[in-house]
Amino acid sequence: MNSPLKLEKPQRWDTPFDERMDDRAVNELLQIDPFASMDEQAFGTNVPLRGLLKNDCRITNYQDGEIVIREGDYGNSAFLILSGELLVSLDSLPANILGRATPKKKNFFQTLAQGWTNSKHSEVRNYSDQNSDCRISNAEDRARIFIQDVPRVITADRSETLQTGEFFGELAALTRSPRTATVVSKGNARVLEVRWQGLRDLMKRDSALKNHIDQIYREFSLKSHLRETDLLQSLSEDQIEKIAAETCLETFGNFDWQVQFKAAQKKDIRQRIHDEPVIAERGEYPNGLILIRNGFCRLSRPYGNGHQTISYLGKGETFGFRELAHNWQTGQQRNWSLSLRAVGYVDILRIPTFAVEQFVFPNIPSSKLPALLPAAGTISARSSDQQKKKRRGSPVNSDLLEFLMDHRFINGTQAMMIDMNRCTRCDDCVRACASTHDNNPRFVRQGKQHDNFMIAGACMHCVDPVCMIGCPTGAIGRDQNTGYVTINDNTCIGCSTCANSCPYQNIRMVNVRDSKGNPMVDTHSGEPIAKATKCDLCSDQQGGPACQRACPHDALYRIDLSDSEQLEKWFG
Amino acid sequence: MTRQRQLKIRLICSLALTSVVTACLVGLILWQRANLQNATYTSGAILLACLFFLAGYSLRKKIPFASFAGPSRFWMQLHIYVGLSTFLIFAVHIGFRIPDGILESTLAILYLIVASSGIYGLYITRTIPKKLTHVNDEVIYEQIPVIRQQLAAQVHALASSAFGKSETIARFYVNRLSPFFEKPRALAYIIRPTTRESRKLQNEINQLDRYLTSDQAGLSEKLISMVQRKDNLDYHQAMQGRLKYWLFIHIGLTYSLLIIGVVHGVMALAFHGGMR
Repeated sequence: MNSPLKLEKPQRWDTPFDERMDDRAVNELLQIDPFASMDEQAFGTNVPLRGLLKNDCRITNYQDGEIVIREGDYGNSAFLILSGELLVSLDSLPANILGRATPKKKNFFQTLAQGWTNSKHSEVRNYSDQNSDCRISNAEDRARIFIQDVPRVITADRSETLQTGEFFGELAALTRSPRTATVVSKGNARVLEVRWQGLRDLMKRDSALKNHIDQIYREFSLKSHLRETDLLQSLSEDQIEKIAAETCLETFGNFDWQVQFKAAQKKDIRQRIHDEPVIAERGEYPNGLILIRNGFCRLSRPYGNGHQTISYLGKGETFGFRELAHNWQTGQQRNWSLSLRAVGYVDILRIPTFAVEQFVFPNIPSSKLPALLPAAGTISARSSDQQKKKRRGSPVNSDLLEFLMDHRFINGTQAMMIDMNRCTRCDDCVRACASTHDNNPRFVRQGKQHDNFMIAGACMHCVDPVCMIGCPTGAIGRDQNTGYVTINDNTCIGCSTCANSCPYQNIRMVNVRDSKGNPMVDTHSGEPIAKATKCDLCSDQQGGPACQRACPHDALYRIDLSDSEQLEKWFG
Repeated sequence: MTRQRQLKIRLICSLALTSVVTACLVGLILWQRANLQNATYTSGAILLACLFFLAGYSLRKKIPFASFAGPSRFWMQLHIYVGLSTFLIFAVHIGFRIPDGILESTLAILYLIVASSGIYGLYITRTIPKKLTHVNDEVIYEQIPVIRQQLAAQVHALASSAFGKSETIARFYVNRLSPFFEKPRALAYIIRPTTRESRKLQNEINQLDRYLTSDQAGLSEKLISMVQRKDNLDYHQAMQGRLKYWLFIHIGLTYSLLIIGVVHGVMALAFHGGMR
């Protein structure tokens, strides 16, 4: 028998947030609040406070006018001001100021002119006509983006100043939601950045920090989220207040799920489902109403030796209402009838059962109460044929759901779906894409296939756009009006962060050329200049995505795979 | 409403609309004839306009960025139903008789070839995609030669590894595998692809199993899967190629038809009053 290959088991801090963090910086941090008042003993030996500060934090010096965070960015870290002041804009700033793409629709003549103005060479760029209100510079091994003329852009009456010692950005980091404001350095500032893993552990071991963040969340986000929940809309402000006081915020799964996604794909499906964190287990006591704030959950039930996917729930959906309503109406004790598992990263609110029974059920119209659950045993007695068909509001069969879940296609709001039974492989879609992108196609007509449906390799403009996390210049961003994820070619520095993050490999790095076809190279290093490219849904064209318009056989459509109505239409 | 249902409703509505419009046009021509007017010019003009419109779809495809031109699927639907209606208009135009002049005969034959190729195209664009979907290996047409070359190299490497140990494999590779992987398929296969040859080869590989040494176990399975992959590639090439070459012929003939059609129209107008 061959002897096993011996490797050092990967450790949590193999890759620190910033390798430049040394003991001197850690000692300095331990002298200031909130770290000075933390009890190092509470952290134990596995995750010591010093280790957290050294490996999950970094210190950044910002210059006057430099953007610290941008509104709309998906961040994965929180910030603490060590010295200096930062300016928070109370208004939404225009996309061009933040370094984002600002697609302008082509007019009739510009559209027509594409027929003869498209480049002969691939990936041709012309950067001579750049006109932006932001400036990029490279220093300290990172790209910096500055707002030019800050007082004009962020006026004193429409801004707030953050002082030394203040925390910010923690909610977006913990709840994986977009940043709600843009923060700019006011003069020179020194800022500590804590990545979400470190923040989570700091909160776990330091009750003061946990309470502080919890309070911020309850103050600014929780009540508005509860008010937006359909089931709770008939409740009074006072009742919402009382529910908010009892609600727990919980997170499941890995924030950086995309990193492990590819490796996890190689595992057996049973193992993959088994590894997914359980939010609610079938057969257990229903301890509350679950509201999904972010991410996707798998609804499953045991079937044979594994778990069968029945449906999935996404942002804004609830779980457990039926069981709770049944128990409240009948006085019986029925447990969860299905399991709820976190797929990737999930962020939920759990309203305890007693709070639902006390404040929700007596105050909602009876029409909102669901039908009683069928008699016990009825569900498990269903035939295997029925199990394959529609169930619990799920419009499509179980196999397709498994396919969409396994490949995380449920994340896509504009997935390119091709019906291969109608597609003649004529490539009109590819040619149309190329013709609207200066002769450079922005997708690949290949991809994962289920039965006759293929999800082609085009950006899906995801619900959870992990590609946007970590972009140093904010070049990749979500358009506030359309929701499309687009890249600003002018501010992209070619770092590949987005391309590496995309779990579907739908972002491609290309080396750019000038109009004569010569490669563009960096003045200092002489290396080719790379840019991230992907489908932008033809946001500068009239009439929507050219690929869809060009398909003569009704085979290609851009569809929202997180929308059950569209799923039913296409796969029902 | 599901997509399938939408498509069925569209089919029924389109057929109904085409029937009504065609009936109106034919009715107009017949009404002119009944009133002793020269209806041939009307039917000819309608027919020529239809042909230009049908050829216009090719131009629409060349400007995919032009959103104002409408989606291609809409054009495709119009192309199909206008094309179908031309059959009846053509029949009325020639007066349900066989043309006798050289130009008219050439034009009629050309029209029939183009129209038939259109019907054939409709048939293959509706049937071949399903056949290709049944084959597991989805492949892009332009990549097929490269993939085939890689596959041939893999088979060569696999067989070479057994050359020193087994003469059986060496002989089988030279005589049977190498021609299958390296030579293009015969015209008969391109016209009507079958799995006969690959099945035969797979059977032979199975037979070969008993002549192999124990350390060559598993070789036959690998070879069989490679033969299957090659067969799938050939099938894709034949069927995708058919779709591409059909379009090439259909469009090429359409332009010839348009030119001769215009000549016919000019001559018909020039000799409007007959020879003087």
